[in-house]
Amino acid sequence: MKKTFLSKRNALLSSANISWNFGVLVFALMVLSIRLFVPNFFWYAFTPVFKSANVLAARSHSFLQQFSDTAILALRNEQLTNENIALASENQALIQKMASIEKFICGHLVSTSDVDTKCPQSLKGILAGVVARPPESPYDILVLAAGTRSGVAVGMEVFGAGGVPIGIISSTTTDFSRATLFSSSGIDTLGWVGRNSIPLTISGAGAGTMNAVVARSAGIVAGDMVFVPGPGMLPIGVVSRVDSDISSPSVTLRIQPAINLFSLSWVLIRDTGL
Amino acid sequence: MMRGFLTFLVFISVIFFPWPLTAVLSLASSFLIPFLPLAVGLFSDTLYYTSGLPLFTLCGSLATGAVLFVRSRLKTGSIGR
Repeated sequence: MKKTFLSKRNALLSSANISWNFGVLVFALMVLSIRLFVPNFFWYAFTPVFKSANVLAARSHSFLQQFSDTAILALRNEQLTNENIALASENQALIQKMASIEKFICGHLVSTSDVDTKCPQSLKGILAGVVARPPESPYDILVLAAGTRSGVAVGMEVFGAGGVPIGIISSTTTDFSRATLFSSSGIDTLGWVGRNSIPLTISGAGAGTMNAVVARSAGIVAGDMVFVPGPGMLPIGVVSRVDSDISSPSVTLRIQPAINLFSLSWVLIRDTGL
Repeated sequence: MMRGFLTFLVFISVIFFPWPLTAVLSLASSFLIPFLPLAVGLFSDTLYYTSGLPLFTLCGSLATGAVLFVRSRLKTGSIGR
């Protein structure tokens, strides 16, 4: 009797399926083991891929912008130009003020006029490029191109453009580090809200947003600024919506970050003692 | 050919596209490669995981389990061809 060979008797165990399933799992495990055993090399290998992703995102954004209404764009451009001129002059004044404060503090610390070379790095901050950011990174983290070699340590605070605090360094390698954003789920930060500086606990809600619960009698409205401690009160975000339940004495504030976390390209890392 | 293209697309989307798109792509591809959601979950957590539960690996293994269950209930030979 002739023996029949049924290679595809079982859909799960067909040779083609097994090889692909096996292949993808081995690939994922191989990448994981590289990440665990040689993390610095891993990030060096993946940084060019992340960079090309950033370039692609920027190009696609500018391409899609071409389809917008040109009249609206021109109006917006004019508004932004005017705003930019005002901000530039304000910025110059602030830079002068900051330089004099830095000189005063560093002068006391190192007793020298050569502030640029002797002033501690913690006061000036470490500039780091952003390798990966949300929404590609799903846990609300930033991968930064500065590590222990540049002086970055776990617990240092991360600031965006304009000195807006955005997160804390959670792990480091020699040349790279990861920052957990304040908007990351499960992260609680103490701060204040509104003109009366009402204290509140800001909880990360994921996807770049934060929540907080305050008493209804506090009278917080959409548009109020939210601050966290730093050198003074630093703006972290703005109340975008107030959700209230008529039976509850408290309201939930939906907080939008003061800067767009999805388009960050560089950050400043400083040791603030948080 | 199709399997290779889908695998490449899903792994690349972890870096190039927002994670919801990656999730949709890996779920869609899982009917051809059942272990792809688990592998992609592992890959995502390798890149981005910091602390707490490795959510993407867990979700990937759940999706893989669901796909394997569905396939086991289908008539033998209707998928693998």
